[in-house]
Amino acid sequence: MESFVLKNIIPDFLETEKVIGSEIWNQDILISKGQKIQVIAPSGSGKTSLVHFIYGLRKDYNGQVLFDGNDVKSFSAEKLSGFRRSFMSIVFQDLRLFPEQTARQNIEVKRLLEPFASSERMEYMTALLGIQSKLDQPAKLCSYGEQQRIAIVRALQQPFDLLVLDEPFSHLDESNREKAMLLIQEEVAARNATMLLVDLKPIEYFNADRILHL
Amino acid sequence: MAVAFNHISVFLNTGQNKVSRAFGFIGLGIGVLLLLCSVQMYININQLIRDRDTPKNGYDFISLTKSVTNENMGSDTRFTTADVEEIKSKSFIKDAAPLVSNQFRAKASAGSIIPFSTDLFLESINDKFLDTLPTTFNWKPGQADVPIIFSADFLEMYNVFAPAQGLPQLSEASIGAVNIILECYGSLGQKTSYQGHIVAVSDRINSVLVPEEFLRWANKNFGNIENVPASRVYIKTADANGAGLQSFLQQKNYHVNKDKVKFGRVKQILQGIVSALGGFSVLVILLALMLFSFYLQLMIAKSKDNLRLLMTLGYSPSVLSSTVAKKWIPVYAIIIGSALLLAQLLHFIFQQFYINGREMLSPFLHPISLLVAVILMILCVAINDRLIKKLLFSLV
Repeated sequence: MESFVLKNIIPDFLETEKVIGSEIWNQDILISKGQKIQVIAPSGSGKTSLVHFIYGLRKDYNGQVLFDGNDVKSFSAEKLSGFRRSFMSIVFQDLRLFPEQTARQNIEVKRLLEPFASSERMEYMTALLGIQSKLDQPAKLCSYGEQQRIAIVRALQQPFDLLVLDEPFSHLDESNREKAMLLIQEEVAARNATMLLVDLKPIEYFNADRILHL
Repeated sequence: MAVAFNHISVFLNTGQNKVSRAFGFIGLGIGVLLLLCSVQMYININQLIRDRDTPKNGYDFISLTKSVTNENMGSDTRFTTADVEEIKSKSFIKDAAPLVSNQFRAKASAGSIIPFSTDLFLESINDKFLDTLPTTFNWKPGQADVPIIFSADFLEMYNVFAPAQGLPQLSEASIGAVNIILECYGSLGQKTSYQGHIVAVSDRINSVLVPEEFLRWANKNFGNIENVPASRVYIKTADANGAGLQSFLQQKNYHVNKDKVKFGRVKQILQGIVSALGGFSVLVILLALMLFSFYLQLMIAKSKDNLRLLMTLGYSPSVLSSTVAKKWIPVYAIIIGSALLLAQLLHFIFQQFYINGREMLSPFLHPISLLVAVILMILCVAINDRLIKKLLFSLV
């Protein structure tokens, strides 16, 4: 995937005053391969909705999300799953882990689908982020911060051209934020991928090429 | 990497509702076993009864005689040509043919190997009424060799008294090898000998049958009679127990071979019972499949969140559904395979111990039974596949 475009997107549910003045809503934004974008958005501005629009989870908006000219709204279920398997990875704000399954199962379910990282690399990532000892523990028994790190490691197991992160560090301390950010940027660089980080405020240790305010 | 069921089984709530699953499987096994057994029994009944009765193309062949009563005793109770024509004209009788007997003295002996000699009666009937008709069953004037079709019942009777008389018992296969000297006596006592040999054994007609051409010629030449009235008439009818036929027979005071009629009735009843069992087993299979489909629906409903998340993470709904569906193929194969083996065992026991391994019935299941098992397997897998696909795509 060489580029993706956010073309005049206006959520159906968003008040007009929130659209006016936004650097994303109702704008034509071209993001090239390898760019690092930071989206800064206050609560209630439609931050998570934007992430869901890009990931193809929701269609309640006007405008287009185009990947190499193809509108994500027109993707079939099969095409969308293939896209999520090989071209786009995500860390959800609500993490979306399997609560009953162990941290390892949560990570492996993504790695086995289309492996990019080796199992050794996966072990390394968990060690780096301090969750290696939690690998065989059910996700629901991990703290929110640990779950956040599990979700980050899971997102880094597959090949991708675009990585979308929705408030990925909200429950991480500064040390873990730094480690996670460095790891993510390393993985993004290894794939020459585009990175879109959405958060309430600017994130330290992230050298964004472009900052957009929602 | 291809997704294996093991990768995703932990995300499915397969352990739920085990009782429903177990009942579904047991029900399916019982249903398949019942269906295979009823199909096989239907085939068995057809094969066994065909050898005894011979309904040809769905018709019954019955012998008619005029009842001999105190009133008509002493008068001629044979069928005239007009009688035969009247019988033929009835709508419930498809066809009729007179059974003509010999009007001269006939004697048979079997030479020195089987020291046996007897006066006998010969009869002939139109070829189309014969259940077994070898190509050699014909005769031309001047031919010294006379083919004979012998009644299976007579052979059985012979085999009953043969040991007591010091005579060898004969099988259907070996009787053809016996050389019979057929002696025909003219009205003045002159003897003409023919070489007789049994070319077939008939289950349908209790008689010693010779070709029509021979008996017509012999009656004319030895008995000086042409157009011999028939002592018996064979009729071909679709329903031997039909009301029309029964009332006609009663009205004309004709007597029928009741055993054959009863036997036909028994066969009808047996086939009816087996068909009902087959219908019942189809119902059991449908119920079992429904029960199992409830289990699948429940499993997918309970795993709904996990399955939806798997698809959100990039698991293709069609790959996911075929992976889940494939999981059940070995289960169906084991259930249907076991039912097949059990049906084979039951058939073998039936063949060996109930009908004493008679050659007319193979000890193995009929190919149609195997085909039914294969069709059931395909059906189960297809229904399962379709159901899972439908359920999973509803989550997209």
